[in-house]
Amino acid sequence: MVHILENGEHFRADNREPEPEHEGFGSGFSINDHLDLLIEVLKRLDGRSLGAAACVCRQWCAIARNDSLWEHLCFRHVSPPPVGVRPVVSALGGYRRLYMVCVRPVLSRLKRRRLGGESEVVRRVWNQHEVELSLSLFCVEYYERLLVGGGRVAGDSPSSSLKFLCMPVNV
Amino acid sequence: MGPTPYNSSNSSSSACSSSTKPPPPQPPDQMDHLLAGAGYKVRSNDLTQVAERLEHLETVMVKSSPVDISDIGNDAVYYNPTDLASWVDSLLTELNPNVSGSGSGSGSGSGSGFVSGSGPAYVSDPVMNDMNNVYGEFGQQVVTPIEEDVSIRLVHVLMTCAEAVQRGDMSLAGLLIDDLQGLLGRVNSGCGIGKVGSFFVDALSRRVVNSPQNGVVQVDLSAYENEILYHHYYEACPYLKFAHFTANQAILEAFDGQDCVHVIDFNLMQGLQWPALIQALALRPGGPPLLRLTGIGPPSLDGRDSLREIGLKLAELARSVNVRFAFRGVAASRLDDVKPWMLQVSPKEAVAVNSIMQLHKLLGPGGPRGPPVDLVLDWIRDLNPRILMVVEQESNHNQPEFLDRFTESLYYYSTMFDSLDACTAQPEKTLAELYIQREICNVVCCEGSARVERHEPLVRWRERLTGAGFAPLHLGSNAFKQARMLLTLFSAEGYSVEENEGCLTLGWHSRPLIAASAWQAIPKPSVVTTGR
Repeated sequence: MVHILENGEHFRADNREPEPEHEGFGSGFSINDHLDLLIEVLKRLDGRSLGAAACVCRQWCAIARNDSLWEHLCFRHVSPPPVGVRPVVSALGGYRRLYMVCVRPVLSRLKRRRLGGESEVVRRVWNQHEVELSLSLFCVEYYERLLVGGGRVAGDSPSSSLKFLCMPVNV
Repeated sequence: MGPTPYNSSNSSSSACSSSTKPPPPQPPDQMDHLLAGAGYKVRSNDLTQVAERLEHLETVMVKSSPVDISDIGNDAVYYNPTDLASWVDSLLTELNPNVSGSGSGSGSGSGSGFVSGSGPAYVSDPVMNDMNNVYGEFGQQVVTPIEEDVSIRLVHVLMTCAEAVQRGDMSLAGLLIDDLQGLLGRVNSGCGIGKVGSFFVDALSRRVVNSPQNGVVQVDLSAYENEILYHHYYEACPYLKFAHFTANQAILEAFDGQDCVHVIDFNLMQGLQWPALIQALALRPGGPPLLRLTGIGPPSLDGRDSLREIGLKLAELARSVNVRFAFRGVAASRLDDVKPWMLQVSPKEAVAVNSIMQLHKLLGPGGPRGPPVDLVLDWIRDLNPRILMVVEQESNHNQPEFLDRFTESLYYYSTMFDSLDACTAQPEKTLAELYIQREICNVVCCEGSARVERHEPLVRWRERLTGAGFAPLHLGSNAFKQARMLLTLFSAEGYSVEENEGCLTLGWHSRPLIAASAWQAIPKPSVVTTGR
């Protein structure tokens, strides 16, 4: 077996197995050079981890803010996947905002009701009604920001109509 | 039977002498006003003792043989039931000569045979029986026995005061209101009966002080102030959200397959209902229709055209999501001032009429052509809407007798305040309470055309709408599921959605508070001119 390492330091022409310490697959391979792989990995994370990933470095931050990642996060467990939603959501503030302001609190509230207060992360499939309700709440929230003035995305905190979602559940 | 509050000639002075309780802040000979209103003379200081003895009497009577009791009945002439304390003592002595029914210090101190002092005796009297029902709603929070005592007394005195107001006995009502102020000082006014009680006491005192016969006219808030209160009420509790989401779902289903749709909103406010409908129409399979919205609202007096501003914001939202949208505002201070031609309904479009808590305002005294509600329902029917959405408070605050209205509204609003207790966000909660307070004030203080909060329950609305030529539309299971889901998002666990013959009601702990129903117009039969 021949191993040619990237920086050409070693060249082995014999059949021995490489020693792991110096010649492991990791050294010289940087995920930052393979952004498509990075995106595939990030797509499979949950919201909290995705948020944490955005804090790693500037490049990761820029990638993690890519709205299609958040779209995947919002609707990957929806069966059947909603059609035609993307332009509407983009117009109302984007999937990342949808997740922060609506989807995450709605999911955690619904899940807590189901499990009676335990805070375990459960993969669940949404149904059509839950999707519709979240979108409606998101739209109302966008409208309230319009009423207040500006209409631009103002940070990650929701406007007042969704405050009830942030209130602690009586456990 | 007139009360004699300061009559101290009382033969029971030997029986109920000095009590071992700390002296309450009243002159020792003062008669209790509440019982005075019912025809009994008991001193306020002696109330607890008399209550205990009544309970004891009940226990003894239950255990006694029928022969003993009928003996007492034959000797009725010896007893003077107005002097309640000595009457009870005499009966006790008669039934059970071994027990001394009187004596100082035998009140709350002694244990055996006496029920503890925290439960007052309920005199059997129809007014008081209603209060038992009302009190049931207040028993949600933990209260100390003393506070429970005061709470119950508060409710009793409220009812007696309302009764006095109905009779026109304003002097007694005034005295009772002073009592009530005192009681409110002793109860926790942050929650429960203390809070809602204070609003009712305030309303009663306004009625008694200002204009007992004709009621007061409530000071109007500006449209802007109204909107602020409404908005906070929208956020603090789910009733308006439930109304909007249910209405939108029904309208969406009614507009299925239509390309030109027209929604008429009887009270636009800030248009909070419509973004969700616009978004749902944008996402419907087959693409969005052309949506026209006509919003009715009060004329703004400060030069701003608030209807137009709301229309512009809604149009901006509709443009973002690619829904063709047109808005029209109709300014009218009362719904019956609106004429159908102002709405400019075109025959090709599908019409939806949306009335969230507006129709009850039309139940007041009508003009020469009949009550306003019938006229309005008539022109709605002429528009031939595919759906008329009616959401109303589920309670009867339009009874002719003041006391009935008062009782019903006390029950209704205490339930609503209970549900509001779960909301902790400020200033939403306070302003929402202010919004509800204005309703309470209107129901209790105002009369005639000033009283607009004339709520009627769903059964009455069904009769009325069926009589006006509308057929019920069933709200489907989608609306029900959506409502249920919406409620699980609210942190308080007491809300319940129920389905009632195709209508949905939202309530708190099985008391429905708001009811949503959908109707469609039966086209009028073509009239053959017979010269009517």
